[in-house]
This record gives sequence, C-alpha cells and structure tokens, in this order.
Amino acid sequence: MNTKRLALLVLLGSMVMPMAQAQIKHIEMRVEGMT
Amino acid sequence: MKQHLGRQSGVQNVEVSLLDGKVEITPKKDGQIDPAQLLKAVYDSGVTAAEMDVIARGKIVKDTSGSLALQVEPNRSFTITPSDLSKGLEALQDTPTVVIVRGQLYKKPAGKNKADPSALLKLLILEVQKKE
Repeated sequence: MNTKRLALLVLLGSMVMPMAQAQIKHIEMRVEGMT
Repeated sequence: MKQHLGRQSGVQNVEVSLLDGKVEITPKKDGQIDPAQLLKAVYDSGVTAAEMDVIARGKIVKDTSGSLALQVEPNRSFTITPSDLSKGLEALQDTPTVVIVRGQLYKKPAGKNKADPSALLKLLILEVQKKE
C-alpha cells in the first residue's frame, strides 16, 4: 500500500515539477510618450 | 507609470529609463504575471507601449487552434509566431523538455499612434537560450 502511494507521489511530482519551474523570468518594454 | 506597474500582480521590481524609454520588469519568483495586464497598465498610465520582450521558461505545446505555443503556467500559454527558430522547437512539442526563450510578445503596429492593449499577444522567438 505504502509503495503504491510512494509511486503515485513520485509520478505526480514528476508531472508537476516541470510546470512549477515554468515561468516568465523577465519583461522588457519600450514605451513612447513618457515625460 | 512605475508605481502603476509596481502595483500589478506578480511584479517584484520595475526599472524605468527616461533616456531611452526602456522599462524593465522583474516578476516575483513564485508569482504569476500577466503580460497583457502590464500592457494595459502602461496604456492606462497614458503612455504607449512600442514593444514588449520577454524571457520565459516553459514547455512547447499545441494550443487549442493547433498552433505551436509556449506554456509558461498551467493555464497560460502564448501562441508562437512561425519562424525559422520556431521550427527548431516543433520536435519538442508535448515532451517534458523545458526551454528558456527570449521573444517579442508585442510590437505596436506601424502607423498607429496608440497601442491596442487588447491585442492578442503572440510570441516571436528571438533566441532559444536553453533546453532542459
């Protein structure tokens, strides 16, 4: 039972981790009309 | 504008250069940031956004219309404008590979004085920095 739970956790973790690291790291804009 | 942008969700820091009109936005590490919201915030501040570039990390997926897209959050992805660089990413579609790319999300259409903050943001890949 515990082995099944552990395997499920590892599987879920491997699915979630890449997306948890996905993100916008930096944004740069050029604007006009600024005083 | 700096204060207005700084109040937007997911924004850690805003640096504005009056000399060249450059605005650099650092997102919070764990925050979710919405570039379209930032574009609207700039517009609401009374200035016009000419260009918006991003460095983003995400997975290559197919969006609902079947186009290649960069998924940066579970519920946020940007359709990728087809180019020579995007062709090189097609093989990574729906694989666990995570890429870091630099790309242009918005460019003010030529001849228009005002930016359209509601314009659909499409990602033109300028550089593939890393594949993991």
